[in-house]
Amino acid sequence: MTFRTKLLLLFVLTVVVAVVLVGAIVSAATRRAFERLDAQRVAALVAQFQQELARRKHDIARQVKDIADADTTLAMAIDISRTDADPAAHVDDARPLAAAHNLDYLELVSSDGGIVSSAQWPARFLYQEDWVLRRDDWNSREPFLKREELPSETALALVCVRVASVADRKLFVIGGEALDREFLSSFVLPAGMRALLFRDPQSVIGASGPVPETDPLAPLLEAIRKQHDGEVARTVQWSTDAASAEAFHAIPLIGPDGELMGAFLVGSLRAEQVRMQRFLRRMQILVAAGGILLAVLVSLWTTARITRPVEALATGARAVAAGDWNAQVDVRSDDEIGVLAATFNHMTRQLLEQRDRLVQAERVAAWRELARRLAHELKNPLFPLQITVENLQRARASHPEQFDEVFRESTATLLAELGNLRGIIGRFSDFAKMPRPQLEIVDLNELVRESLKLFEAQMQAAGVTLRLELAADVRAIQADPSQLGSALQNLALNAIDAMPSGGTLTVRTVSEDGGVRLEIADTGQGLTQEECDRLFTPYYTTKTHGTGLGLAIVQSVVSDHGGRIAVRGEPGRGTTFLIDLA
Amino acid sequence: MRLTAWLPLAVLSAFTVLGGAATRPRYGGSLRVEVRAAPASLDPAAQDAAPLASLVFEPLVQLDATGAPLPRLALSWQRDPSAKRWQFNLRPGVRFHDGLPLVAAAVVASLQAALPGLSVSAAADSVVIHAERPMPGLLFDLAHNGLVFTHNAEGGFIGTGPFRLASWTPGRTATFTANDDYWGGRPFLDAIEVQMGRGLRDQLVDLEIGKADIAEIGPTDLRRAAERGGTVWSSAPLDLIALVATPGRGEDPRVRQALALSIDRAAMHNVLLQKQGEVSAALLPQWLSGYAFAFAAAPEVARARAIAAALPPRDRTLALSYDPAVMVARALAERVAINARDAGLTVLVSPLNPQADLRLVAIRVPSLDSARALAGFAAALGLETPGPALSSEVLYESERKLLEDFRVIPLFHLPDLYGVASRVHVFPPPPIARLGEWRFENLWLSETAP
Repeated sequence: MTFRTKLLLLFVLTVVVAVVLVGAIVSAATRRAFERLDAQRVAALVAQFQQELARRKHDIARQVKDIADADTTLAMAIDISRTDADPAAHVDDARPLAAAHNLDYLELVSSDGGIVSSAQWPARFLYQEDWVLRRDDWNSREPFLKREELPSETALALVCVRVASVADRKLFVIGGEALDREFLSSFVLPAGMRALLFRDPQSVIGASGPVPETDPLAPLLEAIRKQHDGEVARTVQWSTDAASAEAFHAIPLIGPDGELMGAFLVGSLRAEQVRMQRFLRRMQILVAAGGILLAVLVSLWTTARITRPVEALATGARAVAAGDWNAQVDVRSDDEIGVLAATFNHMTRQLLEQRDRLVQAERVAAWRELARRLAHELKNPLFPLQITVENLQRARASHPEQFDEVFRESTATLLAELGNLRGIIGRFSDFAKMPRPQLEIVDLNELVRESLKLFEAQMQAAGVTLRLELAADVRAIQADPSQLGSALQNLALNAIDAMPSGGTLTVRTVSEDGGVRLEIADTGQGLTQEECDRLFTPYYTTKTHGTGLGLAIVQSVVSDHGGRIAVRGEPGRGTTFLIDLA
Repeated sequence: MRLTAWLPLAVLSAFTVLGGAATRPRYGGSLRVEVRAAPASLDPAAQDAAPLASLVFEPLVQLDATGAPLPRLALSWQRDPSAKRWQFNLRPGVRFHDGLPLVAAAVVASLQAALPGLSVSAAADSVVIHAERPMPGLLFDLAHNGLVFTHNAEGGFIGTGPFRLASWTPGRTATFTANDDYWGGRPFLDAIEVQMGRGLRDQLVDLEIGKADIAEIGPTDLRRAAERGGTVWSSAPLDLIALVATPGRGEDPRVRQALALSIDRAAMHNVLLQKQGEVSAALLPQWLSGYAFAFAAAPEVARARAIAAALPPRDRTLALSYDPAVMVARALAERVAINARDAGLTVLVSPLNPQADLRLVAIRVPSLDSARALAGFAAALGLETPGPALSSEVLYESERKLLEDFRVIPLFHLPDLYGVASRVHVFPPPPIARLGEWRFENLWLSETAP
């Protein structure tokens, strides 16, 4: 991973973490604020409900007492207490009384529990309301909740019972109001809130009528049934959309005997909160995206200021490693990177100068070596030449009679040495003006076999075993078979010379990287690292004889064929020459 | 067939007579009457025009308070021992309202339509009626359905009754004026003004504020009408109030049986009907058949509950439709629903619901002949036509078979009830006849205008 990428990731991570952290804090704070506000509204609505309930109880108690105390009711009580009372006489009395006193429900019940008249269900005359006979203290009891049976439903009512007494006969006046849509409509509700009434076992109504879909409320209603001695809170999801969530607080409505009659539900829509949270999340994403973009730009700018010079330095170093010691890094800054770049440039300049000096020194050393070799090579034939000429001089001076014979022997020697000199000079000349290779399609394996066939007798005499490991898939190459064959023979000869006590000469061909590799390995005395480094220098030799041009010529041939030659060797472990040809 | 005397009506009529005897009859005045019916024309054969038609048209015979036949347009009659041939001798001196005399041919023409299947012929001043089978109740049929009429040049109906039709606005008003040449003597009243198509509530209000002299009232308004010093007239219990199963719906008779056993007729009769009419579990009223009491009318709630419990839950809900035009229909239907609830049945009540499983209906007694009445009820209720009834026992058995699958659950027989203003007085015979006909020729008003 590059420095730029690391820096970029660091900046992005910093931005993202910061944005996420801030977003979480803001979301939490928003949620708490909403919950606080919601709790306040719910508390206000519950208080409103309690007040309304208390007000209605007071009203109902007053109205029912008025009915019970009215003269007409007393007259009715007297009338129905007679033994020959006509049950039809008052069957229709309840309805106008209820209407006059703004009561939704009114039943007049005789002392035996039979309904005399019912406003809400006129057909129930003479039916028994035995529950009203179970108490004697109705006149002092507060209104209470009751399930009211109606023709089409069971309603929840707030009722009060008062008794009109005539001697030992009683007329029970049971009046009340329905807890229904109108009751819920009386509440002042903040936006986003609503009040519902749950009437056990199943009915749930709102101010606009029955709630059509009550399945999502089932867990809430079940919780109310299980725990009807305290408030219950649940959040109801009306659909898969999170914005449809509605938090409900339920206040159970308990009957006179402690039984659950229903519950007052305060619903608070979560849509606003969800919208706010979605907005915050969107902003978070936008800020994060913006921050990431900014981080990218900043990191790009920052890393450009840092990595570009570093890359330039790296590029320069690679160029130097590739051999371009003239590489310079163009970094102009006053900081550490600038100092580093300046130092690098100074270093390459120094390297260049040192290389030039080294090249000069090597050239001088090569000239010296050449001069030494020349001197050495030429000295050998020159000395006999000198002795021969001196012999001729002495023979002419001292032994003229032997001068002809001495002259013949001496001129033969002179001609041989002169020939030797011509050979030496010829080799030097050959190295100086080696011709370009004449390329043609060559089967390398066949060339190897042909070239090494010449050394079979010599190898046998030297005790050298030839091992050919020629890969069959080696492709034909473009080569000058003469030059390449000569180079191969030179290497083979060197290998044989390196194994004076015998050994193994292994010649291997293999296809590699689209080209071919030729390996010539011996098991001779090997080479040191320094010898390996200098082996291809012209006139350098490890032998006591020879011009030192053989491997230089081999290198030149390989180079002319577009290849490379390398040597590996360790003292005592033999030497391997590697030739890579395309 | 033996008819049962309708004592309450006789008592009421006597009371009315005694109450009215203290004032001397006087001629003059216009009686204001209001009715719910709104017939298109004064057709003697139309059921809804029946009480109005009785002002204008007359039968050959009429029934007294005890149900015994009395001469009307026929002065006398004879029959053969088999009761297959009857001869009615026409009253002389009777004229139609157009002045033409009443002749046998005119009687024959009007009776032929009213008595299908019978041979009616004129013989001098007599009318002879033949039948293939005995007609012991022919007199009651003639009293109920045999109004005599003729046609004027415009095709309108002309009668011989104490009042003649002066004006007719279909469905709205009708005015009848006294027939000065009435064979029974000119009526005391000069005119009768009838307001048609008035609801019961409106009629009661008009009666109370003095805008009407005679108005139809329901049983629930009886007490109110009496408390205001008025009089109440009633006919015999003529209307059968029954629950009728809709054909093709609720095929399980156990549902209907459970419902029938749950109904507390007595409570409804005492409270909702204020003891008017009779509790009945039979099609024919007691006064007509004499055996209606044999049909059990008391509720058996425990048995009803047991039967209902054995029913699939989906069969325990019924829809009951009622006609708001039928008096106290809604109150009766709601009471039936609450009784059914005690048996574990759910009855949903709604007005004029064509999809209902049951209907609360009111059907007029079709004939004073028991067998013909039972056949008429069967036809009206969609029941199988009973076979000929040669005796009360056979008739009872026929009726029992008609009711055994509870497709019809009779509840009550109700009379026609009228509230009468205090200025109206009556001289015998009773102003409302046994079959609901109006006999207003002996009414007079104590003052010309209220």
